[in-house]
Amino acid sequence: MSAPRRLNLYALTWRLPIILWQLMFFVGPVLFMVAISFFVVRNYRMTEAFEFVNWEKMLTRGYFWDSYWYTLFIASLSASVAMLVAFPAAWALAFRASDNLRRWAVFLLVIPFFTSYLVRTFSWYVILAESGVLNAMLGYIGLGPFKMLNTHFGTVVGYLTLTLPLAVILQTVTMANIDKTLIEAARNLGCKPLATIWRVVLPLSRTGFIVAALFCFILAFGDFVAPFYLGGSQEPTLPILILDTTKSGQQWPRAAVVAIMMMLTLFTVAFTAIALAYRKPAGSR
Amino acid sequence: MTNPLVTFRNVEKRFGDFVAVRDMTLDIHEGEFLAIMGSSGCGKTTTLRMLAGLESPTAGEIRIGGRLMNDVRPHERDTPLVWQSLALFPFLSARENVEFGLKMRGVAAAERKHRALDWLDRMQIAEFAERNVATLSGGQKQRVALARSLVMEPQMLLLDEPLSALDANLVIRMQGVLTRLQKELGITFVYVTHSQSEAFAMADRVVIMSQGDIAQTGAPRDIYRAPANRFVAEFVGRNNILTGTVTTTNTGGTEIATPQGNFTAQTPTPPPQTGQQVSFTVSADLVSLSGDAPGTVNQARATLISEEFIGSVVTLFLEGPEGQEYKVQMQERALTGFDLTPGTDFWLSWEPGNANILEAG
Repeated sequence: MSAPRRLNLYALTWRLPIILWQLMFFVGPVLFMVAISFFVVRNYRMTEAFEFVNWEKMLTRGYFWDSYWYTLFIASLSASVAMLVAFPAAWALAFRASDNLRRWAVFLLVIPFFTSYLVRTFSWYVILAESGVLNAMLGYIGLGPFKMLNTHFGTVVGYLTLTLPLAVILQTVTMANIDKTLIEAARNLGCKPLATIWRVVLPLSRTGFIVAALFCFILAFGDFVAPFYLGGSQEPTLPILILDTTKSGQQWPRAAVVAIMMMLTLFTVAFTAIALAYRKPAGSR
Repeated sequence: MTNPLVTFRNVEKRFGDFVAVRDMTLDIHEGEFLAIMGSSGCGKTTTLRMLAGLESPTAGEIRIGGRLMNDVRPHERDTPLVWQSLALFPFLSARENVEFGLKMRGVAAAERKHRALDWLDRMQIAEFAERNVATLSGGQKQRVALARSLVMEPQMLLLDEPLSALDANLVIRMQGVLTRLQKELGITFVYVTHSQSEAFAMADRVVIMSQGDIAQTGAPRDIYRAPANRFVAEFVGRNNILTGTVTTTNTGGTEIATPQGNFTAQTPTPPPQTGQQVSFTVSADLVSLSGDAPGTVNQARATLISEEFIGSVVTLFLEGPEGQEYKVQMQERALTGFDLTPGTDFWLSWEPGNANILEAG
């Protein structure tokens, strides 16, 4: 027996601002972007129309798909690297550090977000340049110089600047909430210390880790700064492709096609990841 | 008697300045049901964790089956533990939980499954084998936890307050399950609890701990009837404790003069000195109540303060001269005919053989 649903004016009043905000600044622009993708450009001017020519032009071109797969690959790679590099630090903070040290560490990890990502990216120039700090140090032991700027390596370094602190924070918080008794129980039943990581810690951290990896992927996939300034747009990622497309002949409709493809990809990845993260273990009812 | 299965020799465990276990010497025999009892922080759980290798002693020696275990790591031991929180793996089914330890030992999948199902069947929860443990009831989880430890076929099972999360009726049932299992398997159970009823109902022998020390070790009946010291007498509860000076002592009995009168108690070995200050206890259920002076050796006058009625048994709380507290436990039906208005005066009496002198301290 449930009460008949009535319009709750009080709740609606409080929800209204966020609903309006989303309609105006998310749903509206997206719909507009979808509409633009069917417009045509004549004499460098965008004209209203309903033609599939932009979709056809973009989706049949090799350079679009090259860029698409490259972006997908390098974003996945950097998300994986971020998760792997973050893990030992997060593990130590979650299981070895005192509560106090852990609080300080999380605080320190937030500090990078105080400064602009662009500024942090440019500071890599000093370190990664041909005559930069890193090559100078390697020179002392007779290595290099290596070309690090304007390479795939540079792009990944840029992505990690954005995602690594976040990955450490999310992993630490996830693992700090694990009931330590479960790890002791595994040891008690003959599980070797290192094996507890994938027998107990990872299964218990699934939700938090998938969400962390998802964030790393989303941030890298949509990022323009790292591939442009540190990767030198050698292989253009999709955000760079959008910029180039709008610049060359005012092709806003074709850029909209790229943007929609990006959004569809992110929706698919996010939906799959969240479903995986919250999947109930077998035998639950 | 054969060699003990477990020996603690002068074992100490410190955490910084805090001494959790102090100079413990204890033997645990093969096939016995030993309960370690005490209030929180007394060192009972630390003792159990040292047996499982989850803590290592800071001094002394722990041997299991003669082998020095001080620095043997948990996963290299055969000491499965049933945890207070049960510590079942929430991402695994009941069967997979039971299989976990076998998997770690490299038992083949088919045999693992067979043995796990066997134990789930034995614990009467075979029908839930493929269910996720989060969907099981408290009693069912308890059985999964027991199966997970016992499938390892250990020589000794460690239990850390495993029944504390269950409701009262289930506790009684699980006590039956545990004692039956222990007799059937013939293995050693080391059972840590703060509950006197659990310890006394199941254990062959009880160790009472207080602030890191063993206060008394003995069969439940002996501890109940003859607590060795004041701590045990108070902890075990429902004991009357009186204090006075020894006037005469011989094998027939020891006379003690107290502010409540002169009483005779059993003479302990070694006997106390004349003039020594001693305390003695009388169990609440061994005290008789009467309206008039019974004219026997041990009689005391007291005023009724309150009564506590739990079904067939009633506990009366009385007060004698100088604020001496008395507790009398009687069958409810034996109380008909008494006026139980608070403030009524009664006479209490007990047999000299039921009065036990405590160790000093």
